[in-house]
Amino acid sequence: MEQRPVNWGRPRDDIYGAYDHNIHNAAKMPTVHTQQPIVTGTSVIAVKFDKGVMMAADNLASYGSLARFTDQERLIPVGKDTVVGVSGDISDLQYVERLLEQLEIEENYDNDGHELKSSNIFEYLSRVFYQRRSKMDPLWNAVIVAGVEDGKPFLSYVDLLGVTYSSPTLATGFGAYLAVPLLRQVVDKEGDEDNLTEEDARKLIDKCMKVLFYRDARSIDKYSVATITSEGAKLEKNVKCVEMNWRFAEDIKGYGRTVA
Amino acid sequence: MFRNSYDNDSVTYSPTGRLFQVEYALEAIKQGSAAIGLVSKTHAVLVALKRNSEELGSYQKKLIRVDDHLGVALAGLAPDARVLTNFLRTQAMSSKLVYNRPIPVSRAVSSIADKAQANTQEYGKRPYGVGLLVVGYDATGPHLYEFLPSGSSLEYVATSIGARSQAARTYLEKNFDNFGSSTLDELIVHGITALRDTLAQDKELNSKNTSIAVVGIDTKFQLYDDDDVVPWLSKLDTLSRASGAIPTEESTEAEQPETTETTETTETAETTEAADASEAAPAADDSMDTTE
Amino acid sequence: MTSIGTGYDLSNSVFSPDGRNFQVEYAMKAVENGGTSIGIKFKDGVVLAAEKIVTSKLLVPNSNKRIQTIDKHVGVVYSGLVPDGRHFVGRGRDEASSWRSTYKVPIPVPSLADRLGSYAQAYTLYNSVRPFGISSIIGGVDEDGAHLYMIEPSGSYWGYSAAAAGKGRQTAKTELEKLEFSSLTAKDAVKEAARIIYLAHEDSKDKEFELEMTWISASETNSIHQFVPEALLKEAKQFAAEATSPEDKMEE
Repeated sequence: MEQRPVNWGRPRDDIYGAYDHNIHNAAKMPTVHTQQPIVTGTSVIAVKFDKGVMMAADNLASYGSLARFTDQERLIPVGKDTVVGVSGDISDLQYVERLLEQLEIEENYDNDGHELKSSNIFEYLSRVFYQRRSKMDPLWNAVIVAGVEDGKPFLSYVDLLGVTYSSPTLATGFGAYLAVPLLRQVVDKEGDEDNLTEEDARKLIDKCMKVLFYRDARSIDKYSVATITSEGAKLEKNVKCVEMNWRFAEDIKGYGRTVA
Repeated sequence: MFRNSYDNDSVTYSPTGRLFQVEYALEAIKQGSAAIGLVSKTHAVLVALKRNSEELGSYQKKLIRVDDHLGVALAGLAPDARVLTNFLRTQAMSSKLVYNRPIPVSRAVSSIADKAQANTQEYGKRPYGVGLLVVGYDATGPHLYEFLPSGSSLEYVATSIGARSQAARTYLEKNFDNFGSSTLDELIVHGITALRDTLAQDKELNSKNTSIAVVGIDTKFQLYDDDDVVPWLSKLDTLSRASGAIPTEESTEAEQPETTETTETTETAETTEAADASEAAPAADDSMDTTE
Repeated sequence: MTSIGTGYDLSNSVFSPDGRNFQVEYAMKAVENGGTSIGIKFKDGVVLAAEKIVTSKLLVPNSNKRIQTIDKHVGVVYSGLVPDGRHFVGRGRDEASSWRSTYKVPIPVPSLADRLGSYAQAYTLYNSVRPFGISSIIGGVDEDGAHLYMIEPSGSYWGYSAAAAGKGRQTAKTELEKLEFSSLTAKDAVKEAARIIYLAHEDSKDKEFELEMTWISASETNSIHQFVPEALLKEAKQFAAEATSPEDKMEE
């Protein structure tokens, strides 16, 4: 007869082997990492043109469907001729921002004439994202790296899965559905960007941002535009969507006068 | 007092602020045969003199490839050089993996120089016993660095390390103004001409004892040994050795002790020299022996 | 140093009967043998300058930089054993980056000097290590303005308006004491730094040297540590050469 009450009702050691106390000591819940983003930024869009790259992202940080912060900058300049556009979780954006700042500081330690090119920065970010997803603890973002390298425009994408690809037009999130078709009307394939001027690219970006504001409920009509040419990166802030027409909204149920 | 001198370890300063153990380690470089590096505007070149211990033995490797754009020449303890180049290779690979960028030459050299410094500041470690010439081609052009056991790394237009290397430096100092605009072939010939000045009187450069490596614009690091060096050696033969004779004389005078040592050890393989080097160090105490 | 050879100077971390740590004093000798470095604080920033002795004409001119960056806003120059300096700077960079990752702000210069002072001091405590053979001059600009510190092999450090280390320390100090720091502009400080390095070099005139200068200024460099621009460097060198030419010295 088992004399110690603590062992009553347990499998007998002589039959089932010694009790594995890890079972008793196990945590109540399994370890969990990020399962969803919390505060989020929506689409980033970008397009190559004849002398460089242009990229835009609006200034909204949403908390679920709440427009929580309306002054969030999501385009991060790195070095002289690279800009990183980030969509997705804003706290992860801030983490990426600090990684990139430290990267830049370390690159300038020796004043030795070496500089990180856009492709170097992109490679680094893609390694970070892939490593984090492999740890099952992803940074919840989709990122576009835009820059000019050896006089040629550079544009690449990486996301929380560590997936990477390049194209003369790129967009993250909703932008991939709403902006990319518009961008491809002008720049369809590699080489088409040679026929797009900076001025026209700027208009194209404005048009895409306006459509995104019309149709993406997590967007706002205020955004930043980065233009990177061999002269360097230029960041226009607080650009507003203009010449909009919301008359159609009146016919939408639950939005205008039409109810139920 | 079980010890009463300033040269037993690298954690003791002499009253004048010198580190004798580190200075002795610099002497170990001179036990090795000579190696020379030079750069032009487009290329970097290494040339080195190989030794063999016995007739049937192989010649000791002097030049090591690190990456497509990076390589080293060594003089001194070959095993130490292998440790350092293996480390350089991991650094080079990580630069490619993380940044998709060939490692900048200056940073590669700094990484091993910083390692070497740590060995001069902690008890129970010894300084490396090898000098390296590191050449490479990166975004800022071709480069030549000299790495020393003291942890110093300096960039040169041209320089030499190893036995009787002063003779080669004398040649390089006379001619370095022309290196910048030299073609690759001219640069190599300058290199082996300087290398010839490091030889003892009765020795000649030949396809067995000469190593050449090049790297540069559109040129991956490439090693040449044996028959592959003959085309350049033959260019050397057309020049009179007298041209190099004058600097050789000067340097023989300047470096009398080193010269005699060299003639004694010319036929000795580098591995045995390793032992020689530690014996030659005046104050190799017990702690030193265990470290080796 | 009367106690040389009595055995108390053979190991670090050992006091002599009269209370000295000889190995630290010997490390300071290593500093005195090194090329001169100086730092000058002006209204909204700091200039750092180094005298680099050219040991061989085969060295690549203007390569082999001696002044290093610890963080965007902090630079450092040192005299003594150069490899020790690189190690020390490495520690400074680690401190600066760990501060950033903890507090999400750049490290204040006084905090950096304090941490590096402690690091240097730790190397005087154990017989398994030796003290750093460098005196380093740390200059930076933070929220509270410009700062200049010098850390010695013993680990002691002070804040300065201007500091000098290395072979020409004495000459440089005498000159630095004449400066009017409250009214010094960035460009004047650069010129004075050049002049003082040139003057400090007079004692070892047989050797070639290169002048290396960096600055950090709220108004001139947006509080970022960087090399003095080529044009200004040239101007400063010219000013320095004229000021130290024999005729001028007669007048002084």
